[in-house]
Amino acid sequence: MLSLFIHITNKKGKNMKPIKILLIAILTGVLVFGISSCSKKTEGPVKVGVVLPLTGSKANFGEMEKNSYELALKKINADRKAKGQNPIEFVYEDDTGKPDVGRAAAEKLINVNKVKMLAGGYSSSVTFAAAAVAQQYRVPFLVNTGSVDKITQPEDFNLTTNDGDKFYIYRLNPPVSEYASGLEGLLATKVKPKSVFIIHENTAFGTKGAKAFQKSADKLGIKVLGVESYSGGTVDFKPLLSNAKKVKPDMMYMISYVMDAAMLMKQSREIGLMPKLFVGAGAGYTMPAFKENAGVASRNVVSATLWHQSLPIEGAKDYFDNYIKTYGGDGPDYHGAEAYSAAMVVDNVLARCKDNYDAETIKKALDATDMMTPFGPVKFTAYGKKIHQNRMQTYVVQWIDGALKLVWPEDLANAKFVFPIDWKKVWAD
Amino acid sequence: MADKQIKKEKFINKTEWIIILSAIVLPFLFSFSPYVQGLLIFVMIWVVLGSSWNLLAGFTGLVSFGHAAYFGIGAYAAGLLFLHFKISPWWGLLLGGPVAVIVGYLLGIMVFRLRGPYFALGTLASAEILRIIFGEEEWLTNGHNGILYITTWVTKYPYYFIALALALGAVFSVKAVMRAKAGFYFLSIREDEDAAQALGIDTQRYKNIATVISTFWAGTAGAFYMIYMGFIDPEVVFSLHNISIITILVGIIGGVGTIWGPAVGAVIMVLVQEIFRSALFGLAPAWVSRLHALAFGLLVIFVILYLAGGVVGDWDLIRKKFGLTKKAETAE
Amino acid sequence: MDMFLQTLVSGLLIGGLYAIIGIGMTLIMGVLGIINLAHGQILMVAMYITWILWQSFGIDPYLGMFITVPIVFYFGQFLAKYLLHPLIEKDSILPENQVLMTVGIGMVLVELARSIFSSDYRSVQTGYTDVVWHLGKISLSMPIVIDFFLAMLLTLGLFWLLMRTDLGRAIRATAQDKEAATLMGISAKKITILTFGLGSALTAAAGSLFLPIYYLYPDVGPLFTLKAFVITILGGLGSTVGAIAGGLVLGIAETFGATYFSMGYRDAVGLVIFLVVLIFFPGGLKRFTKV
Repeated sequence: MLSLFIHITNKKGKNMKPIKILLIAILTGVLVFGISSCSKKTEGPVKVGVVLPLTGSKANFGEMEKNSYELALKKINADRKAKGQNPIEFVYEDDTGKPDVGRAAAEKLINVNKVKMLAGGYSSSVTFAAAAVAQQYRVPFLVNTGSVDKITQPEDFNLTTNDGDKFYIYRLNPPVSEYASGLEGLLATKVKPKSVFIIHENTAFGTKGAKAFQKSADKLGIKVLGVESYSGGTVDFKPLLSNAKKVKPDMMYMISYVMDAAMLMKQSREIGLMPKLFVGAGAGYTMPAFKENAGVASRNVVSATLWHQSLPIEGAKDYFDNYIKTYGGDGPDYHGAEAYSAAMVVDNVLARCKDNYDAETIKKALDATDMMTPFGPVKFTAYGKKIHQNRMQTYVVQWIDGALKLVWPEDLANAKFVFPIDWKKVWAD
Repeated sequence: MADKQIKKEKFINKTEWIIILSAIVLPFLFSFSPYVQGLLIFVMIWVVLGSSWNLLAGFTGLVSFGHAAYFGIGAYAAGLLFLHFKISPWWGLLLGGPVAVIVGYLLGIMVFRLRGPYFALGTLASAEILRIIFGEEEWLTNGHNGILYITTWVTKYPYYFIALALALGAVFSVKAVMRAKAGFYFLSIREDEDAAQALGIDTQRYKNIATVISTFWAGTAGAFYMIYMGFIDPEVVFSLHNISIITILVGIIGGVGTIWGPAVGAVIMVLVQEIFRSALFGLAPAWVSRLHALAFGLLVIFVILYLAGGVVGDWDLIRKKFGLTKKAETAE
Repeated sequence: MDMFLQTLVSGLLIGGLYAIIGIGMTLIMGVLGIINLAHGQILMVAMYITWILWQSFGIDPYLGMFITVPIVFYFGQFLAKYLLHPLIEKDSILPENQVLMTVGIGMVLVELARSIFSSDYRSVQTGYTDVVWHLGKISLSMPIVIDFFLAMLLTLGLFWLLMRTDLGRAIRATAQDKEAATLMGISAKKITILTFGLGSALTAAAGSLFLPIYYLYPDVGPLFTLKAFVITILGGLGSTVGAIAGGLVLGIAETFGATYFSMGYRDAVGLVIFLVVLIFFPGGLKRFTKV
């Protein structure tokens, strides 16, 4: 066929030639892709797609989650081998932290890799875009980090809360609007701030998180003195922080990823912004990289968190130690725990499918999930506008003496909440 | 002398018919792989964008570094319609082009006073400003949350044929206008704007005509992107690197100032990126997949250094260098 | 009032840093007549070199600068000699081919950095990174102040070079009128290559200076490329004094915009100034400075 086309085009005049290239290029494409796509029919492990940011600005988090998936997989497949079940294979696809790439990644996993279900999902906007693909192809998607509320709200997918059987998205982690619920207790009983200044990254995660905290503040009678946004990667946060300093808030509430978080704290120290308390909304503020980059300025910063290794949950400490043993470093924060537990849920769900891995069976198994993971109990329920949402408690951590300590709720804490804080002393050196 | 030669030919010549027919058959050859069909749709989107840029830059000499502005406006025309009025973004496919033309005209009032590197910088800055505005004005655009739309079909066929129609529309509209008198005025503006003006050509008018056609196709491509991808946010559709720059590179690789150059460039661009991204279809070790952007960058450097006219523009040169033996075989 | 002063000082200090990035760009634009879209990427390369020197050999970034700058100077010359200059002699439909070449170079540099160093963020922690000085109610971070003074020193040095040496006169002559300069016996090729090296070296210095106050990742470049454009246009093409003024104006405008208007529009402030100057005041501040 190739030679035929070339033959025809060769007969034409000289100025036709360029077009020949187009034809050749297309035909090579046909051949190459034809060959590559035909050689993809193998039976064997059950494939599960995992969408994570493995490169780009969120790669820090993606790597931690991928490591955790792999850590869990080793254990899972050893167990499965002993029980004579099919092993599981996680197929990772890099979303680079961009929604359009995330969509393409989900599509590729479904179409090319023929995965039985999807897991992962880091950034809110990427997860939401990938969720739309999963929903459209009717492939169950277990979200483990993407936290914007609408991911488990059927109305955002043109469905209603009664359409549970048509809704394929499930979420292990609480939505961003509930991140601060644990914090509320601490603020109400210990800190009792009168005013707050909110700074957030101008992304879906940031704006929704800021709105949610404004509601919490109203409930607790805290006056919101200002809400300011910034775009990730800013060099100089001082204008923003000077504005905050001018109104003298009792506390700062900040929603940022890791490097911005470090810059914000460093520059707060620089200009002497001294509220009673700096509070981060999870994400960047619990990462080891935050402490490394912020240095002195990371001291005594408080953050909402979804998990801590010292919680009295079976397997939490084991997972944490195991992670350090395998990958070194300071150990994972809640993101890793979410990923590790998602892998366990996937294993549990697939085991209950009894070798019948069509979407509906997996979905029924997900509906019936009721298990314990190192991240906490997992059960998908419906409340408010959400369905298929795992409900859980959130906690508060604080950087004390270079380590992230659980300080709230009090009965679970492994360190005493440092408060009030004399910033001049803490920030000295 | 050149015009007589072109006029004699039929508007769609035999080779072009073959291309059109094979493009129609192509998705059916890949019926087993929606993934490859998806790639083909991307090729078509890049053909539209590349041709649109090429008319302005390659034929008229107005090298835009901000084509993302028109692409993004088209995408948001469709997206906002859906976001605010729940009107199907399919209407946006009709609207995206005209809205981009209007915005393009308004921007044109500002940037057309500029020449050379100033024009390039002016277009670049206007796209960047639009990106920031669309990110910040949440009440209007939903800001960085973007706009999500559950796409109409799971199957790729209808999208492919719409994209193909757009691509052919773009390529042949460029061909048509370049065969008309306007085409020669475009070229004269590119070669020497002052001389063209001195000869009595209303250069402003013809620059505007080129802009209208160019922005129309860029906007339509944007609207189609919204409908097909089902998700847009300002960082995606107004991206300096991923849209404006890649558009230029598609044009450069294929051949600036040639009718089919952008089409060839689009095929090469998507092919190179995908071959590397999939690590030679899984045959090479996984780290190869991380080199896809690197490979593309090297390709760009190579083409500019050795094939200044692009693959199509320098086809004779390529043939001389690589195709001599092949030619001898087939001809003699 | 305190806030006003603080804003002014912050803007001024960061503006000093912007200025040397801008001078690098404006030199290249003036002599080569192209926009260098790889400017930020060259800065990124310099940051990585400085970072490696600190990480592996424990060399302080400010000292490392004296190693980084010469390396990048030769690297810039290499790029100009083998990739950019050959294009001048080739004819092609678009004069912008050199600009597009810089795009290609930029892509390759970013991806090389990504393959070597991965996308992780890097930063430098030194004894003085966290030192803060207080001047009345205004607080100053020590590294930024050092940066500012080093940047000013560099600028003065460059001035001396441009104004008082033969090389400088040759560069200025080429920027003003290439053909006339060639007739006067200046090798345009040599000057073109040297200028690109010089511009890259200045950017490299800026990179080393930015490292202690910012952080580093492969995609850090475009942020600075955009700033360099704005400064160049603001100051007037090819004008060094203009670029200094442009850098300071941009730094101050940005901080004031962010403080009194909206942080989200911070980057837009520069771009709007840029368009306004481009359209209504072509020539920028050069009109007033004439240098």
